[in-house]
Amino acid sequence: MKKNTFYLLIGCIALALLAILWYSVEIHRPLLIEAAFIAGIAVIYVARRRVEDLIEDERSVKITEKAAVRTFQVFWVVFFAFSIGAVMKILYVPEFPRSFRPGRSPAILPPRLMGYIQLGLLCLMIFLYVGFRIYYARKYGEWETDEE
Amino acid sequence: MRNKIKVYRAMHDLTQEDLARKIGVTRQTILAIEKGRYVPSLDLAFKIARHFGVNIEEIFIYGEDSPQSRPG
Repeated sequence: MKKNTFYLLIGCIALALLAILWYSVEIHRPLLIEAAFIAGIAVIYVARRRVEDLIEDERSVKITEKAAVRTFQVFWVVFFAFSIGAVMKILYVPEFPRSFRPGRSPAILPPRLMGYIQLGLLCLMIFLYVGFRIYYARKYGEWETDEE
Repeated sequence: MRNKIKVYRAMHDLTQEDLARKIGVTRQTILAIEKGRYVPSLDLAFKIARHFGVNIEEIFIYGEDSPQSRPG
């Protein structure tokens, strides 16, 4: 498979996923987009192995590695901080002195809010990765030009 | 780490694209190595030296600061 064909395939899969997402929202079936997303990524991974042109070498692998490690280093701190807060809300620790407020239960976050927070964390991870990737790509001369 | 890849390329009348294809890397990698932005692995350094038929020390000169040796 040629490099351009591969990129075209990625574009087609992205468009198909967008359409499936739309349909999945309309019929209220999240499993459809979840399964489609996993299948789409699997197809991309398989297609990537069949690309004959060179799209990756040790420098690009290094850029990817560095960006991934830095993303993980920042993300786990944010995720840990959020998780501590969530656990504090879930764990119902009695106060001292005891305040007798009837009907008080652990304040568990509503599912909709949890969904938004998850989406926010996912976006954060993507932005961090893209940002670090741009930084390391520039550091290792990705967009250098030469007079050759 | 300094290197003389550009000199050896000129001696062998090779473009960056030609060398990259023969070594099995992208043209950007050759360019980044030439400009000192990226220090190649030992494996790649040997491949480059072997391609030009010289010892590795004749192309790569160790001793200067490189982007990879700096933290961050």
